[in-house]
Amino acid sequence: MTLLLETTGLSVRFSGLTALDGVSFRLEEGQIRAVIGPNGAGKSTLFNAISGYVAPTSGSVLLKGEELTKLTPHEIAEKGIRRTFQNGGLFPELTVLENVLTGLHAQTEGSFLDILLGRAKTLESEAAMIAKARDLLKLMSMDHMADTRAGDLSGGQQRIVEIVRTVASDPPVLLLDEPAVGLSPVARAQMMDIIKRLAGEKGVGILLIEHAVELVMAAADRILVMAAGARIAEGTPAEIREDRAVLEAYLGHA
Amino acid sequence: MTNMPTSRQQSLRTVLFWAVPVLLLFLPLATNAYTQFIVNGMLISVLVTLGFSLVIGNLGQLAFANTAFFGIGAYVSAILSAKLGIPWILTVPVAGAFGALGGFLASVAALRGIRSYYLAIITLAFGELMRWAYLHAKPLTGGTDGMAMPRETMFGISLSDDTLKFYIFLAVTVLLVKGTLNLLRSRFGRAVMAVRENEIATASLAIPTARVILATFAWSGLVVGCAGALFARHVGHVFPESFGMLQLIASFAMVLVGGLGSVLGAVLGAVLLTALPEYLRAFPGMEELFFGLIVAAVLVAMPKGLASLLRRASPIFIERHYREGA
Repeated sequence: MTLLLETTGLSVRFSGLTALDGVSFRLEEGQIRAVIGPNGAGKSTLFNAISGYVAPTSGSVLLKGEELTKLTPHEIAEKGIRRTFQNGGLFPELTVLENVLTGLHAQTEGSFLDILLGRAKTLESEAAMIAKARDLLKLMSMDHMADTRAGDLSGGQQRIVEIVRTVASDPPVLLLDEPAVGLSPVARAQMMDIIKRLAGEKGVGILLIEHAVELVMAAADRILVMAAGARIAEGTPAEIREDRAVLEAYLGHA
Repeated sequence: MTNMPTSRQQSLRTVLFWAVPVLLLFLPLATNAYTQFIVNGMLISVLVTLGFSLVIGNLGQLAFANTAFFGIGAYVSAILSAKLGIPWILTVPVAGAFGALGGFLASVAALRGIRSYYLAIITLAFGELMRWAYLHAKPLTGGTDGMAMPRETMFGISLSDDTLKFYIFLAVTVLLVKGTLNLLRSRFGRAVMAVRENEIATASLAIPTARVILATFAWSGLVVGCAGALFARHVGHVFPESFGMLQLIASFAMVLVGGLGSVLGAVLGAVLLTALPEYLRAFPGMEELFFGLIVAAVLVAMPKGLASLLRRASPIFIERHYREGA
């Protein structure tokens, strides 16, 4: 298995409060690693530290051995770590197709001047990206919605479009922050199926925050359990189920 | 109509876009000196409104520095023409470049994380600061007296001729509107609106948000700066008073009446609100009252502006932010 993402001793401190306390883990190609823990455990801070939205106080983030710790969010995204947001990151006033195209921004060719002058290079690249975006929407049976305003979609459809937008550029690593929250049981199952296919068929390494324990147990290859900013356990779903520390700290019944 | 394939819609849109300026080539046959002067003013308003709408509508930043860009463009053109004897037409791109520089300066505030009301106040102050500079840099700007544009001819025709000016203004306007449309219907335009919708999520898509904000302000400044150079030639004289709050409120009204963030809306709003006061001259003493009532009525009836009315009438007027094929 190829190692994609690695954090070593990643810590974030905000004026006295330790939000993330020396977290280390590895994510391999095609692996789904779930991050679970009670509210305030530091799951979202971990995501923000990896994707550059929060500067780590110490420790490092490596993508295929390359140090990313000092980069800005858009630079980290360009390196190949893409993420979704817990409260939804779609652009409601843009159409579904336009939303997916924003995920292909860095892949679209043409400088500001090329675009301004409408040069052939830009138009060809733009046409290729539109074709790609339409194909991706078709895979998710969302192609008939291409010209719909994203804000007019149902919650489940919005989540799917956000995933399509996030994976459009074929990133090697995906950070999904509660992708199934607020979805109906059917839509949830569909979402987990999409996530498993991304890992299984495309070899994407996926870091997944999810509260629904049964979904996590079914989908994840490995689980990282956090509490109070620190890693308290790590292992396969079966191991985590038996882990005493987890049962005490997280599930609350020892 | 509604189910027309996008490719046909797109070619129809292209035809419509070019039909307008081509038909306008014949307009001077139908105007007199007075109406031609009004139409020339409309073209300038189109550019000012377009540049303004780009920043407050598409980028979603409450920045009111467009009067500053407009004044900068006008004064750069006047100073280069009057003091250095540079042919006016050559001052237009220079005025645009200085306008872009003004846009760059205005974007610094936004890039420092100053947003909404705070950005509004800072950019308003920028406009007032520029007006103070026009008033006090007397040797360069003529102070309160302003400065007159020198007499000049082009192709053997005096530049006080409104028909000649019309063709030049039309060419500049079409070029800048087309350039703006190219920008908006590309990854750049999508990024501009993504910043408005959700700046944090935008960065997660490998979009350099700071560069997008800077470039939008600079392009807005360029468009409005060029408009300033046209304005200097249009009225033949630049005064500090032309670039104050009244000008700002007028162009704000044009943006809103046309429709925030819509190129079509910028054109409609500018044309309508430039023409309206001329019709209202029939009601002396009541002009401002009627003007205000009409603007208010349009905004109550159509909060998304005149462009939304056309969008509902036909999908041809829906402004997409991508283009399939040329």
